[in-house]
Amino acid sequence: MTTLTVNGVDHRLDLDDARVTLLDALRDRLGLTGTKKGCDQGACGACTVMADGKRILSCLTLAAQCEGREIITIEGLGVDGVLHPMQEAFVRHDAFQCGYCTSGQIMSAVCLLAEGRAGSDADIREFMSGNLCRCGAYPNIVAAIREVAGAGGGHA
Amino acid sequence: MTILERPRHVGPGVDRVDGPQKVTGAARYPNDFSHPDMAHAALVRATIAAGRVARLDTGAAESAPGVLAVLTHLNAPRLATGPSALLATPPPPLRDDRILYYGQYVAVVVADTPERASAAARRIEVGYEPAEPLLDIHDPRAERLPDPWGSDASWGDTRAALDDAHVVIEASYTTAENTNNPLGLFSTLAEWDGDTLTVHDSTQWPTRVRATLAQMFGVPEAGVRVLVLYVGGGFGAGLRVWPHVILTAMAARQTGRPVKLVMTRPEMFTGIGHRPATVQHIRIGATRDGRLTAIEHESRSTVAIEGDNIEPCATVSTAAYACPNVTAHDEQVRLNIPWTNSMRAPGEAQGNFVLESAIDELSHALGIDPLELRLRNYAEVHPRSGLPWSSKALRECYEVGAERFGWSRRVPEPGSMREGDWLVGYGMAGISYFWYQAPCQARATVRGDGTAYVRSAVTDIGTGTYTIMTQLAAELLGLEQDRVTFGLGDTSMPPGPQAGGSGLTAALGSAVHAACRNLVRAFLDAAAADPASPLAGCDLDDVAVTGGRVHRVGEPERGESYAGILAMRGLDELSADGDSTPRTPQEAGMAPAGPFGARFVEVRVDPELGRLSVARVVSAIDGGRILNEKLARSQIIGGTVGGIGMAMFEDTVSDPGTGRIANATLGDYLVPVNADIPDMDVSFVGGPDAFNPIGVKGVGEIGLVGMAAAIANAVFHATGKRIRSVPITIDRLLL
Ligand code: FES
Ligand code: FES
Repeated sequence: MTTLTVNGVDHRLDLDDARVTLLDALRDRLGLTGTKKGCDQGACGACTVMADGKRILSCLTLAAQCEGREIITIEGLGVDGVLHPMQEAFVRHDAFQCGYCTSGQIMSAVCLLAEGRAGSDADIREFMSGNLCRCGAYPNIVAAIREVAGAGGGHA
Repeated sequence: MTILERPRHVGPGVDRVDGPQKVTGAARYPNDFSHPDMAHAALVRATIAAGRVARLDTGAAESAPGVLAVLTHLNAPRLATGPSALLATPPPPLRDDRILYYGQYVAVVVADTPERASAAARRIEVGYEPAEPLLDIHDPRAERLPDPWGSDASWGDTRAALDDAHVVIEASYTTAENTNNPLGLFSTLAEWDGDTLTVHDSTQWPTRVRATLAQMFGVPEAGVRVLVLYVGGGFGAGLRVWPHVILTAMAARQTGRPVKLVMTRPEMFTGIGHRPATVQHIRIGATRDGRLTAIEHESRSTVAIEGDNIEPCATVSTAAYACPNVTAHDEQVRLNIPWTNSMRAPGEAQGNFVLESAIDELSHALGIDPLELRLRNYAEVHPRSGLPWSSKALRECYEVGAERFGWSRRVPEPGSMREGDWLVGYGMAGISYFWYQAPCQARATVRGDGTAYVRSAVTDIGTGTYTIMTQLAAELLGLEQDRVTFGLGDTSMPPGPQAGGSGLTAALGSAVHAACRNLVRAFLDAAAADPASPLAGCDLDDVAVTGGRVHRVGEPERGESYAGILAMRGLDELSADGDSTPRTPQEAGMAPAGPFGARFVEVRVDPELGRLSVARVVSAIDGGRILNEKLARSQIIGGTVGGIGMAMFEDTVSDPGTGRIANATLGDYLVPVNADIPDMDVSFVGGPDAFNPIGVKGVGEIGLVGMAAAIANAVFHATGKRIRSVPITIDRLLL
């Protein structure tokens, strides 16, 4: 049995197969399908979640390695049904189209602020470049992050 | 009904109605659905491009833990063929031992977990008898299909005009194979109950998926339900019913379990189509003062053995400029490659690159500003049919774009503008996008609580269909937007066309318009049953709708609320259907216009290293009436990013000997990342189009078009180097 702590809740998981990634555990075993799979190869950022406050690619992380780590997913970002400022800004700036990259972009953006790397548009662009958006919403993603960074960043 | 007499040209920038779902992870894409009893499928793909399967050893896979079934051509059920019309369905998978392209499915494995399915799939051993594949677009042995779509055109005497021209520009161009790569992994979840089938599928065309599955499995269409509430992009990839969809349904039928298949990223390079490579040749003749006298445009693109694909590139040259002598010819060559298919702006993307680069070459040869040259050859009527356009504000696109960009600051001489160590280049391109619209149906309901529900079995692939149709229906029914819900992505709704060809907004919007009008008429009929009703005797043209009420035009107090009419008649709700079928140009007496646009680009080139970056993009677009400025802008921005990808990065590289794609991952196939994309300026100009009742034109694809030419033209301006092949990579710049 492995215990995964996700969004503040402990889940006891019978990981019968050592190959199960954190991404598949979240999606298939815990029903948290907000975290997306775009490549399963660490190349797109769609699966980005927070582990102990840092952004990680959940497709490159085995679930069995996550015992004792504090995992936050997109479902755990808002508090009591109120959107996180970054989520709000993404809606207002239309920082997505199909929405498939969005969970990963938002998790990455929230961590970006915590990393102190959202000081300039150039920094935002550079340090958000691990999150692909095939719909091409990049300018609006930058605008959303810029706005939240300017307002002091919101809670992480 | 008079509500659309003076529609606003640019509608308010309302936030997406599905925004909160998408930012909280609550939006459910096809692979987010599951079933407690579900099994999982994994695919096995051919590792040769031509030949046959000589030997199959499935024993190890069949006895692997958790495996429920292994299907190959030796044991798969025989299926009927699917629809062959427009965007044909590939032949039934696993039908025989022939291999026609690298990546073709040779087996599907079903197991109780995805890990076990893919582990077992790797244990299948396939022996091949290879044949020599046809892989080169220039291979003389490859079958050629001249004028595959009947779109070739010729008027005047192009040859003679080229002989007589003062100046002739002649050049060959190539464009690379690109892969759509929507971020959402295409997925199918199929569940049978007797002869009824429910499918969640990543598609842009659910009604086509339903028709195809019914036809191939020989079951009634009414028993097949296809669902797609959200889809993680498509860019054309979801326009066909691909073999993996059929295999998932087949696997579910064979095992008696619901089966889910999630494609891998490498499979997304071979299994859901790609933009074909092209080679094109163009000759343009002109007078010394810059009047075009002749355009001859020839294009060759690739198509799979037994495949089809609509990719008219040369046709672009028949709709762009006033020119008395034009010849356009397209052809395809059949190769042992995965199916080619629509990718955002098929044909237009590549054809525009060639035409708009050649116009730039001509402007340089003549010493006439590129913008001025385009204005001198402005097509006031449709060049091919001679009919007046249903709308055309390309001149305003040029003017507004040039003004916002600061085009007048351009110093004509190539290599003359610098910023520090960087060479600076200004480039532009014009776009005259084609028109397309398919028939569509919709249904509208107003309920006793004053809310409305409008729906059609279409998709929202990120373009904003949910939102703009909510806005449109709210306006047409005189309701606040939060009282209206728009439903889509379910084939139990009235049938709608594909989200493709930039045609959905006009088709669906027109059907919603008809349904809402019919619904208001139904309310009038219901009201007229009471002779004392203030609406008695009213015709549609006598009334307007505002604030949930139908009332006499100009007399808001003389009317009744929807809720009141329903309550009086003891009804819970009233519904009405609407459909739209576009008129022919002859009936309408006009040439239906697609969107027009002008792109202005500033690039920087590092002369030492050949590094190229885009510093600014200004776009001015005539998209007819814009229903939602915020979302339409997103479409243009997103298309522009795709266009930058085509111009600078995207190239699906295949091994010339085996046909294996060498860069079939998102790490190796380069797409633009955030750091590659500058801020963008987008303006919408023009006004409502006259061809459809709501005045819209589609803007889903035009954003991609023109970027390749504008960037190549800017590179020429920066460096004096004319690059006639995209993507423009460092090696091409350093030559
Ligand atoms: S799914 Fe993890 S990086 Fe793409
Ligand atoms: S919104 Fe579609 S991939 Fe980013």
